[in-house]
Amino acid sequence: MNDPRGDHLSVVVDLSPTQWHLSALQPPANVYPLPLSSFLSQLLAFLNSHMACKHENTLAVFGALPGKSVMLYSSTNPAKNLQVMDSNSYPPFKLVDTTVVTRTAEELDALGDPDEEEPLGLVGAMTKALCYINRITLPPAQIPGKKQGISNSLVMPEPRILVLSVSPDHATSYIPIMNSIFSAQKLKVTIDVCQLYGPETVFLQQAAHLTGGSYIHLERRDALLQYLIMSFLPPPSIRKVLSVPTQDKIDFRAACFCHKTIVDVGFVCSVCLSIFCQPVPVCSTCRTKFPIKTLQRLNASRPPPNATNTTRTTTGTPVPQSASNPTTPALTQPTSTNGSSVHRPAQARSSLSQQSSM
Amino acid sequence: MPPRRDAEYMDVDSDSDISLPDDDYDGSRAKGKGRSKTGERKSEKGKGKAKDNQAYTWEASYARSWDTVQEDEAGSLQTSVEELLARGRRRRLLAPAAAVRRTIIRHLILLLDLSSSMMDRDMRPTRFDLMLQYAREFIVEWFDQNPLGQIGIVGMRAGLGEKIGHMSGNPQDVLKAISERHKLEPVGEPSLQNAIEMAKSTMSHLPTHSSREILVVFGSLTTCDPGNIHDTLDTCVKNKIRISVVALAAEMKICREMCDKTGGQFGVAMNEGHFKDLLFELVPPPAQRASRAAGAGATNPAADLMMMGFPTRLPDASPQSFCVCHNELKSEGYLCPRCQAKICDIPTDCDICGLMIVSSPHLARSYHHLFPVKPYEIVAASEALSERATECHACSRPFPLTPAASATEGMSPVGRYRCPECHNEFCSECDVFIHDVVHCCPGCGK
Amino acid sequence: MATLPPQQDEGHHSLLPFLQSQSHTTLTRLYQRPSSCLSIFRLLRPVEKQLIMNLLWLESAIDAAKMAAWVTRENKKAYDDALHALVRVHVVPAPKDGKLALNQTFKSSFRQALTGGGTSGSFGVIFDNGEKRLPFTIEELDSYALERWETILHYMVSSGSDQKPTKPSQGVLYLLERRKLMSKFYGDTLQITSAGFQFLLHTPHAQLWDLLLQYLHMAEERQMDLVEVLGFLFMLSTMELGKEYATDHLSETQKAMLEDLRDYGLILQKKPSARRFSPTRLATTLTSSSPPLPTSAGTSSGPQEGFIVLETNYRLYAYTDNPLQTAVLNLFVSLKYRFPNLVVGSITRDSVKKALLNGITADQMISYLTTHAHPQMRKNNPLIPVTVQDQIRLWELEKNRLRSDEGYLYTSFASQADYDYVLKYAKELGVVLWESPMKRCFFGSMTGHANIRGFIERRTNANGA
Repeated sequence: MNDPRGDHLSVVVDLSPTQWHLSALQPPANVYPLPLSSFLSQLLAFLNSHMACKHENTLAVFGALPGKSVMLYSSTNPAKNLQVMDSNSYPPFKLVDTTVVTRTAEELDALGDPDEEEPLGLVGAMTKALCYINRITLPPAQIPGKKQGISNSLVMPEPRILVLSVSPDHATSYIPIMNSIFSAQKLKVTIDVCQLYGPETVFLQQAAHLTGGSYIHLERRDALLQYLIMSFLPPPSIRKVLSVPTQDKIDFRAACFCHKTIVDVGFVCSVCLSIFCQPVPVCSTCRTKFPIKTLQRLNASRPPPNATNTTRTTTGTPVPQSASNPTTPALTQPTSTNGSSVHRPAQARSSLSQQSSM
Repeated sequence: MPPRRDAEYMDVDSDSDISLPDDDYDGSRAKGKGRSKTGERKSEKGKGKAKDNQAYTWEASYARSWDTVQEDEAGSLQTSVEELLARGRRRRLLAPAAAVRRTIIRHLILLLDLSSSMMDRDMRPTRFDLMLQYAREFIVEWFDQNPLGQIGIVGMRAGLGEKIGHMSGNPQDVLKAISERHKLEPVGEPSLQNAIEMAKSTMSHLPTHSSREILVVFGSLTTCDPGNIHDTLDTCVKNKIRISVVALAAEMKICREMCDKTGGQFGVAMNEGHFKDLLFELVPPPAQRASRAAGAGATNPAADLMMMGFPTRLPDASPQSFCVCHNELKSEGYLCPRCQAKICDIPTDCDICGLMIVSSPHLARSYHHLFPVKPYEIVAASEALSERATECHACSRPFPLTPAASATEGMSPVGRYRCPECHNEFCSECDVFIHDVVHCCPGCGK
Repeated sequence: MATLPPQQDEGHHSLLPFLQSQSHTTLTRLYQRPSSCLSIFRLLRPVEKQLIMNLLWLESAIDAAKMAAWVTRENKKAYDDALHALVRVHVVPAPKDGKLALNQTFKSSFRQALTGGGTSGSFGVIFDNGEKRLPFTIEELDSYALERWETILHYMVSSGSDQKPTKPSQGVLYLLERRKLMSKFYGDTLQITSAGFQFLLHTPHAQLWDLLLQYLHMAEERQMDLVEVLGFLFMLSTMELGKEYATDHLSETQKAMLEDLRDYGLILQKKPSARRFSPTRLATTLTSSSPPLPTSAGTSSGPQEGFIVLETNYRLYAYTDNPLQTAVLNLFVSLKYRFPNLVVGSITRDSVKKALLNGITADQMISYLTTHAHPQMRKNNPLIPVTVQDQIRLWELEKNRLRSDEGYLYTSFASQADYDYVLKYAKELGVVLWESPMKRCFFGSMTGHANIRGFIERRTNANGA
């Protein structure tokens, strides 16, 4: 009650239809099946809890869909056409609930039934959330036009982003995700991550670690709401009193670009920072040739091959790229590789070679 | 850009992709727009100098800083704010659109003038205090953008070069070196030659793939040298050391020459704000020009393969042990992958085996310099508004419905900016935010 | 519950002590309404809110030790305080066998508040507008609330002067008198008291709750059902601004309250007999900390944020034309000039003395200046010039130059040694208030007298013997 400013929470919801379908499968596929509908109802209770904490709290919900990202709800421009007439519920809650449910249904229907799912627009949703936070934390002087009410004149003290993800990491999104993490650091935004389904995501783990948020890989999926409320509802000031779980082990090792091997000691191109597991004469990303002398020196000082400190990834699928066709600088272990990831490196390489031909 | 260059210039030339602001800083002054283009600047160097002379404080009429901000008819500052935004946009559009090669691993010696001329009060509170304050901000920002770089600090005081801070990759160490003001009290004459010699020797052992830079903050109008400074300059050119100078008093021929010959930037600060701008222009890593016309596959002497270690982070609850850097008993830390020594902070060079130790996020922090977001196109008022999105694609701020009556150059009258890749439209705040901070387009996700 | 210490916690809302004083049954009846649960929840402190949330969705009781395991060591006290506070308002029953759970009634109602549903209708029934006539606009509601509220304040502030401002209704006057903000000093006219002066410098939010608390106390005396009264206030606080609500579903007590609330500016009705009402911003922001009046400064004409510029030379410029603000400033500033949108004055010793005599403290003046500082002033650090701050405090100290203590003066000691000996004893007791070795006397407080006297007697006896 003492702080007149509300907290802001942006929630990024992963709405990948395939993953949600997998998540809803009955046992034995899942110990605790969690269909989208029951997830949504628990999410709404969580959103309402956030709104309940303070009259001034603000909320925005973003959806990450295959190939795109949308804003589902925001408290600054709520859908006006919804007339709520219900004496049994608090009008703002009702508004959130209806808007989120209708918008989600609309977007999922609009997806249609494509044969192959495009990569998830998680990065788009995260950057949108950042842009939105940037917008609401801007001083009101920059907002032209009429007075926009009192809430705008107050800077949000502790903006947060909560990512609810069901999809595994996507190798191509590594650089954009890292960029979003660094801009979140600059804006002093905490990113919390809850992985609801599937394997651990290393990228989001790093996001939570680098921004001081908490990362939870949901095990008891029947207790989702309790997890959400205990770990992600309290703003940072409360977390000092009631601690929330954080991860203690973060993988800072990198995967080389040539074989996707996790390396302890790698060889890095000084121009484009590509990582290789062994000394190479030419950088495969930017086509820079390295001096022979360095190669000889490095080969000599190199740790013996097949030592225990280089291990193969545990990725189930064989890595499709060969050494001559590297992926983007995906530094950490990619948990899945997707055919579409081949596009970007080609672009990157062509732009680099263009440049070097000048 | 045609690969033409004069023999006297450095082989690996580098230049900033950002225009020197002294020409477009003051809106009232005639704009030397062409000069901002890096290539042209070289060709018209001779002429350019005469024009630059206008930029000195004593020649300009008394500057009223409040005059540069103009109210419009309604008494609002909105147009002035827009003008500033537009300037930022124009500057960005001048940047080369193609991916550029940049020096990622930088080594910089900050050469601070600690001569008695720094006590002048033409900048508030004094040149010296202002310099220290900006130097701190500069260091923080520099390390933020160049996580793999290192900074050392050398002072020019009483005719000598004085080592103030050792080359270090830890911002805290560097900040600590200049934290005690009374130890840096300015006195005597400066000596450019002595200081540059000292800086040069500090950097002599560095590997070839890293950049070597000297940034001089110079407040004096004289230099008191024991020998021929031109000899020193020649060795700098030979050693590929890039010298940039921010002068606080006036242009000196030797300073200008140093910068031009080594490919650095030269600027004279006109006021406090301009001083800061000049400094901060040197924060982003300089673009590297491809060395030869041979194109792809050429051997680039500046390129090299580096061995780096990716450490394991020990959890906070692990048993305590001594670190090799401070000899302190701690539980948290990182383990060198090669020699298993325990290190407090990264990035650093392992104290035991000398391996460069970084974490993958450190490398990733530099990627946005290598893969920048394309500049957005300005949406003109003439384009049909009806079928377009009604709100910003990123932050959902509604776009203005009617075009603004007077739009400055470089600004969209309808307040919309379009990504050339995904054709989504953004508002001007998001445009600035995306290009300056996020480095990732929300529409295309890259 | 009697074992719990009746401590006053920092940062608590002023309503909570009142709730704590209520019986278990009253509160449980109150918790039957989802809207009341939501409103009370919002009045709690952040840690308490989080505790409730943690317990809310648990089906069975949890080990208290398990919950305490989440608490960081250095903040154990904050956690214990929070738990005690919750026990005192019966949201959490006193832990039995080391188990924690929420009050059953509270739990089910609050769950209902969050998820919607149920048939309680506790969030107010919207008046179904059969005709196409629009309800009041938000601007109309705001100006009405403002006009009502400022009438009350303005009446208070100018009660001492010759001005004859519009009188608020009889009910309001009675409330002010009962709250001892005004009292009848001479004959029949109401005069503002020192409590009243202090009241004027509070934020509108605090003022509003102050009066409502008094209203609640009076409701108890008037044999109104407290649950109905509180429930109605909480219902108002969850209503939506700009909507019209029907009176049909209200109980008799609540219908009777409508008139009072209309006088305070909490609700607006077309005519007293209308079957619908609209809550104003004063009502809908009861449980929030956002400004309850359209402008935070409490003016219709003043700028949004602050309007006072104070210089180091004690001069004060107030950009306002609002008579109420001018009058409040006049309490401790000697005003010099008035312009259409600006009042100029200076803080002088006399003006501050006058305010101190009225019972306003230095801290209240400074906090008023701080909350209403012009945005331009907010760039300064500290916000209020130190000279002015210190001087106001010094003036306050000046007033308290004399302190009276009851006690005894010990004098005419026979020798310096005697004096020193007794003085040393008195000092060990810690009862010496003043001493003068020159005059060989000292002054001791009342409490120590018996001891000192006994000591001297024993000593004289010993010497005499």
